[in-house]
Amino acid sequence: MAATSSGGKWTFTQASVLPGFGLTFGFTTFFLSAIVLIPLAALISMAASSNWHEFVHTVASDRALASYRLSFGASLLAATINLVFGFILAWTLVRYDFPGRKLIDALIDLPFALPTAVSGIALTTVFAQNGWLGRYLELAGIKVAYTWIGVTIALTLIGMPFMVRTVQPALAEVQRDLEDAAEILGANRFYVFWRIILPIVVPAMLTGFALAFARGVGEYGSVIFIAGNLPFKTEITPLLIVIRLDEFDYHGAAALGCVMLSISFLGLWAINFLQSWGRRRFTATAR
Amino acid sequence: MSITLDQITKRYQDAPVVNDVSIDIGDGEFFVLLGPSGSGKSTLLRAIAGLTAVDHGRISLHGRDVTHLSARDRGVGLVFQNYALFRHMTVADNIEFALRVRRMRASQRRERRRELLRLVALEGMDNRLPLQLSGGQQQRVAVARALAHKPEVLLLDEPFGALDAKIREELRRTIREVQRELGITTILVTHDQEEAFALADRIGIMNLGRLLEMGRPEDLYARPATRFVATFLGAANLVLAQHTARGICIGADPVLALGSSTTPAGRDHEVVAVLRPEDLEIAPSPDDLRSSFLGLGTVEQLLFVGANERLRVRLNNAASAGPVVTAADSNAAEALLEVTRTQHDRRTYPVGVGQSVALGVRRLHVLATPLSSFTACATSESQAQAIREEPLLVQLASRMKTRVSTRVEPALQRAAASAAAAPFAGVAVIHTDPDAVHSVQWLLKLGAEAVLLLPHEAPSPTRVLIHWLDEPARRATLAVAASLLRHVSAEAVYVGILADAGEAGRPDGMRSLLDARSEAQAVHGLEIRTELGYGDVATELTRRLTERPDQMLILGVSDISVLTERFTALLGRTANPLLVVWQPGDSPQQP
Repeated sequence: MAATSSGGKWTFTQASVLPGFGLTFGFTTFFLSAIVLIPLAALISMAASSNWHEFVHTVASDRALASYRLSFGASLLAATINLVFGFILAWTLVRYDFPGRKLIDALIDLPFALPTAVSGIALTTVFAQNGWLGRYLELAGIKVAYTWIGVTIALTLIGMPFMVRTVQPALAEVQRDLEDAAEILGANRFYVFWRIILPIVVPAMLTGFALAFARGVGEYGSVIFIAGNLPFKTEITPLLIVIRLDEFDYHGAAALGCVMLSISFLGLWAINFLQSWGRRRFTATAR
Repeated sequence: MSITLDQITKRYQDAPVVNDVSIDIGDGEFFVLLGPSGSGKSTLLRAIAGLTAVDHGRISLHGRDVTHLSARDRGVGLVFQNYALFRHMTVADNIEFALRVRRMRASQRRERRRELLRLVALEGMDNRLPLQLSGGQQQRVAVARALAHKPEVLLLDEPFGALDAKIREELRRTIREVQRELGITTILVTHDQEEAFALADRIGIMNLGRLLEMGRPEDLYARPATRFVATFLGAANLVLAQHTARGICIGADPVLALGSSTTPAGRDHEVVAVLRPEDLEIAPSPDDLRSSFLGLGTVEQLLFVGANERLRVRLNNAASAGPVVTAADSNAAEALLEVTRTQHDRRTYPVGVGQSVALGVRRLHVLATPLSSFTACATSESQAQAIREEPLLVQLASRMKTRVSTRVEPALQRAAASAAAAPFAGVAVIHTDPDAVHSVQWLLKLGAEAVLLLPHEAPSPTRVLIHWLDEPARRATLAVAASLLRHVSAEAVYVGILADAGEAGRPDGMRSLLDARSEAQAVHGLEIRTELGYGDVATELTRRLTERPDQMLILGVSDISVLTERFTALLGRTANPLLVVWQPGDSPQQP
């Protein structure tokens, strides 16, 4: 049943005793093609159908470069913020029991469920110059709405649940005994955290980071409200693509899309690589 | 002393999980804490390690009070059941962890690591990751890691729990060798009696948070003081017997003649006899026995277990002879005795299921417990049944592995009329009742060791108050309290009460308080707390009982007439369980 032919060139290793490998593998290939690969291929072919000069012109224009910087920079920053604070959130939820823990646990998922435009409007209300927080920040000389800070805040909000939800189970798996053992051997808390707990959750943190980053790069709805969308300043690449589409410049939009696609792919691939290195380093699977 | 524990108590939500435990462990001693799961032994070990704070009591290691020191400053080594190795570190890094924390130089670390790996027979495994090792090897690494910083005390928490029998034995030997070689004081926690026997210099047996008994393995096995230890350490048949002037009787005839021993207070006592399976003998007829004849029986089960043969024999005359026998591992009161024989005996006298045999006893050990059995007593059969099914009584009887019989006594209500009734043995149990005082007096006069007054659906107590009204009752009260407290998870508090707050009575009151504690400790190995109260005894005891519903009172008395005079109200209370113990004063009472 497995796609194994003894004399053939293609050999699939079959890891499970459950039958149906052929069926599931076929389905996987089909599904991935129909939903992911074919649309992406269409995007690339669309971009490729324009001439080279035009492509470079669109992709390397100052406005486009500024938008990449904002999109990827803010996503990276937001994912980093989540790396730290998402970890703390997950830690609190896993390690402590306090009244309202269940409620907070449920609140974490809200950014998943909310239409992103709603979060955008909410953030703008709060951080605009006359908003609840914005007016005080304004007094302190910090402008949030319509600057890159606002973009970062929106992306942090959107990415937060990805971080918390991936780190949470990993943290729950850290046995208390390990910490006890380390303490008895003379390690202080900082040492225990650094040498025992962190190495165990790092792979999960990297996954969370990757997810939050990817989500940030692709985010559109929540950002456009708070960003103000000034070209060269607070314009994110997805918005620029929409603008190109509005101008019926399909080739330009596709070109920008291709650039985003390749940068995102490179970024995620790098993180994946880091992860597998981390897994090899920290958790041996050999028995 | 290497390790001194003084009245350690740890509570979770008010219920004590470790209850007044005191132990002294000598230098280089291998001490095994043995007990079933949930007996508090692991909690106690964690308390010694400093991972759990205690609510009461003191812990000293080598004369240094460490009660309030954190785990990292105590200088102990701990081995966990699940190894707790750092999976992302190599064997070498695991072992050197404690040394690295202490900033030891790399060359010294390497040397120490090599020494430790040799000790646990894992040379050359330095660069493996824990998951590349077998369970037994992982636990060896854990032992080496725990010893790296040269701790003064080694603690092992069920270290062999996750290993199979063969590896377990091998590792057991290693640990014993390492312990001998280093001369390190060691405490090992386990629920496996075989392990305890194999390793221990001394064993301490815990149940329900209390340390029941401790001593050398052979002493505990030969002369256990409690039912729990008798059955937990090896197999044992517990048999109700009569302690009479002629000796110990199981059935009509004395099995064991006790030379000149006289029974206390001149009356027969019900006692619990421990018959080890290997101390029982079977033969075709009573005349063929080389030991004292116990009774005729029928073989019900045969089990071949390697070196030995295990039989279950039902005593034929159990019903007529009176005693009820409890088999080692069943809570049901059955007249089934477990017997083990060697292969040699099996060959000389082979038996089959259903065969009739004569049972003999080579050796028996008597437990000096005043709470031998329970008799639920009421004026009607249905009420007696209701008492018998009271959850607290059911719990007590099953933990004591003893029987609850019922008895209908119409005379109970008009108890003043001393109707001629058959004598009682063990503890009589009645429901609480405002007029209970008369029933109590009547039952005690009929020979009951104690009377237990049970409220309807009473919960298991978490605190037991102890008080005796007059000095002659002290011994019996403490004996009953000690016996009861081994079977409930409760704190024991002796309440001393001074008649008035005047200065004159104070020294006496204090003395009785201290006497009570030291006698409980010395005679019964029972740790109790002491508290002092003032005023009228009945009022003070009632006030204390009213404070919490989950309290029980043990009241000792030598002159029963005081009960009607001053304690009608207290005994008529229906909220708390009460246990009234009577020890007649100097003049033996008239039947």
